[in-house]
Amino acid sequence: MEQSQDTSWVLLVYKIPREPTSSRATVWRKLKRLGALLLHDAVWVLPATPWTREQFQWLAVEIGELEGEAYLWESHLLLNGQSDALAQQFQARVDAAYQEILGEVEREDADLVALSRKYQQVRAQDYFHSELGTHVRERLMSARGGSTS
Amino acid sequence: MKWVTWEQVGVDRMACAWLITKYIDREAEFLFVPAGHKPLPEGAEPFDIPGVRLSHHRGHCTFYTMLRECDLRDPVLQRIARVVDEADTVQDVMLEPAATGLDVICQGIRLVSPSDLVALERGRLVYDALYAQFASEPTQA
Repeated sequence: MEQSQDTSWVLLVYKIPREPTSSRATVWRKLKRLGALLLHDAVWVLPATPWTREQFQWLAVEIGELEGEAYLWESHLLLNGQSDALAQQFQARVDAAYQEILGEVEREDADLVALSRKYQQVRAQDYFHSELGTHVRERLMSARGGSTS
Repeated sequence: MKWVTWEQVGVDRMACAWLITKYIDREAEFLFVPAGHKPLPEGAEPFDIPGVRLSHHRGHCTFYTMLRECDLRDPVLQRIARVVDEADTVQDVMLEPAATGLDVICQGIRLVSPSDLVALERGRLVYDALYAQFASEPTQA
């Protein structure tokens, strides 16, 4: 895993009207797709990259358009070790998804099309470059009978 | 007229600049400010900056917004808007395999270009190419 001590984090707090429920679902789905982590049912967090910064900014604007309200920060953790612990939470979730793919790819009737799509989705959320990702990639390549180079 | 956007242009802003010069303002002059910089220069139309008129709305990219705001209905442009949407925004439904590649290529163009202005110039070829290819295929907006 990459160094997370100096990681900046982008934080999003928002509220959105209960109705229509589709607005709430839209925002929720986007947060999930970005791989954001919900801390204590209060704050959504992502490691800050040009991509996550921009995506959170657009999302904050969109929440406003949906009659909601959003606050967005970029910050550093001040307590020793918390940055690493947070990065590990991201890592654990990504690794669990990679493990699922590894389990499926061994099956005789593995759906390689679906699994490679899933791999791409997980990789897009793999902000700390899990080694397991490389392994999944190799397994998928050999599963299709191709070269792993 | 003058147009302003954030530095480090990528897929959406290259697409927008291409659209502006080709369909909206042949004499367009582009200015760049650092991300988050305020105030924006006066007398320049801002685009692809959070909160301005010509930017992301309702989950769509700025290119899509521009087509709507400028009432451009060419189905080939609509299809390019779909590609840019998938490249630049979070989408559940992915229908255009070109999207991911286009995003990477546009980022790479910025990396090999000495300035944002040069990157926009070089990006034009990519969008001319995309337009020509889509125009040669059966229409799918």
